[in-house]
Amino acid sequence: MRIPKGGIHRVARVADQVGRVLTGRQPAGRNLTVFPDDVFLVSYPRSGNTWTRFLISNLIYQDEPTTFVNIESRIPEIYFNPDHKMRALQRPRILKSHECFQPHYKRVIYIVRDPRDVAVSFYHHNVKAGNIPDSYPMDDFIPRFIEAEFDSRWGCWQESVISWLTLREGQPTFLMLRYEDLKTDPQGQLLRVADFLRQCAFRPIDAGPEKLQRAVDLSTPERMRALEREQGNQWVLTQKTRHDKPFVRSAKSGGWKSTLSAQAISQIESAWGATMHKLGYDLVSPADNPPLHHSASNKH
Amino acid sequence: MTSSPQLTVRGRYAERAVPGRDAGKIFAAMNQIQRIRQAVAHLKTTRDFLLHRKPAGRQMTVLPDDLFIVSYPKSGNTWTRFLLGNLIYQDEPVTFRNIESRIPSIYLFSDRQLLRLPRIFKSHDCFDPRYKKVIYIVRDPRDVTVSAYHYSIKVKLLPDRCPMEEFVPLFMSGTFGAGLLADPRWGSWYDNVSSWLAMQHSRKFLLLRYEDMLDNAARELHKVADFLGIEATPGRIQRAVELSSADKMREMEKSQSKDWQLTKETRQDKPFVRKARAGGWKSEMSEAAALRVEAGWGDLMLRLGYALAGLPVVAENSAVATPK
Repeated sequence: MRIPKGGIHRVARVADQVGRVLTGRQPAGRNLTVFPDDVFLVSYPRSGNTWTRFLISNLIYQDEPTTFVNIESRIPEIYFNPDHKMRALQRPRILKSHECFQPHYKRVIYIVRDPRDVAVSFYHHNVKAGNIPDSYPMDDFIPRFIEAEFDSRWGCWQESVISWLTLREGQPTFLMLRYEDLKTDPQGQLLRVADFLRQCAFRPIDAGPEKLQRAVDLSTPERMRALEREQGNQWVLTQKTRHDKPFVRSAKSGGWKSTLSAQAISQIESAWGATMHKLGYDLVSPADNPPLHHSASNKH
Repeated sequence: MTSSPQLTVRGRYAERAVPGRDAGKIFAAMNQIQRIRQAVAHLKTTRDFLLHRKPAGRQMTVLPDDLFIVSYPKSGNTWTRFLLGNLIYQDEPVTFRNIESRIPSIYLFSDRQLLRLPRIFKSHDCFDPRYKKVIYIVRDPRDVTVSAYHYSIKVKLLPDRCPMEEFVPLFMSGTFGAGLLADPRWGSWYDNVSSWLAMQHSRKFLLLRYEDMLDNAARELHKVADFLGIEATPGRIQRAVELSSADKMREMEKSQSKDWQLTKETRQDKPFVRKARAGGWKSEMSEAAALRVEAGWGDLMLRLGYALAGLPVVAENSAVATPK
């Protein structure tokens, strides 16, 4: 985020900040008070975090189905509500975050998704948010996406993935989910989550086969789309965005194949190919020089 | 306190506060108390914000060209600040009185104050993707542990005669002495160092070893000057090294420790600038304590060129699993 030089912008920014503090509405974000029993649901944006939140929430709360209205009090994200509200939630909490590696997040479920799909989804998300116009060329968007111009707090896709995997992969307090696996076998992956939560000494969860099925059925893209139509103007994430564009979009994997140009694909693959390969995402552009430098430091 | 329409926080005890049940009244009262405590916390936040009492830390606004001097605590960050400060500022020498207005620490000023200060900062944070220009200083963790031990006594976290063996596991957890020695957001030495090493290629990054700086400060300062594109003559480098020597810094600390935010509230009978040398762990740490550090962090120590006294221990036995 660049700070505008002009005095009026600065005054507006400070006024906004003061207003938020005075009304107690400063989002927790990185200032969040973290408890040792917190479980964090971390991912790069547009990687299926909201869907996973619905799945987990529908499994944990078996009384009434999860909606966009109650999700923020069940598995809230850390960027909207002030810290004092987050502290008041029942513990242990499950919280959504997009941060790169955070040493004080002790229990982490990390969701990773094919960055080519993330790119397409991120593009539409930025159109919805009004950051780029409808007609903005995808080929212009991709380099900006790779450089993480849209929100520098979270770094680029690879920084988020590498920082978490390097530091926490293989540890019992870290669970990695692939969006693509969640699509093909939601019950199986949700069972892994339930096992992980049990191991984290979370409250007891009934994860029988019919409960898993219920959670999956209550979190289908169709149902989430229907909910979004009704509640899109009530949910923090969507209320200030364009309502003619959906938040729950195609919810598929591999959409990039028909959307991205060969040039865009090769840009992404040459920037992050080694990491993608490591995660099992097949590269399609002819690789003349496999980019290895990012993972090089990881080998010893 | 208005409740946000988004998050219907029902209060920690709301579920049990069922009307018509006697126990419900108690929980309802507990909810009330919780709300009052929230209001008080809110007033404190507001006061801290208005009076610049809340240091920016990880919440700071980062501009694309900002330079960060990052390290785990007790790894030579202050010395590096003195060296760089004396290299950049030719007018008057850097002292403990003016260091924070030249190369400020992000933990001493509010975000609004930082925006008015020079854009070179001291930080202890773990990897932050917004830092695009980073000088990272690393030091033998056994010496870091010894230094942290003495610092903990200085800041009254530990009693004078606390055994080193007890301190080592506390320090290795990375959560001991929050606010004075460490911070949960900085992680352990291992987390901090490996997070930055893993991400060094996607930014301008200069890795300095404290031991190399002790060996030849001028050579390492030349590297810094090259990294920053500063035109540095040997004379200018020499001046900076001399003005930042451990003796000079000790002398300054004697007269200025009451004026520096980092030391003014601490025990004045213990120095901040201590030995300023490498290998002190050999005499100050028991073999068991040193082995404990090596068992947890040995793989990363080897990567950084720190020879292990004991045999390298396999990852399964270590406190921190090694990345594969």
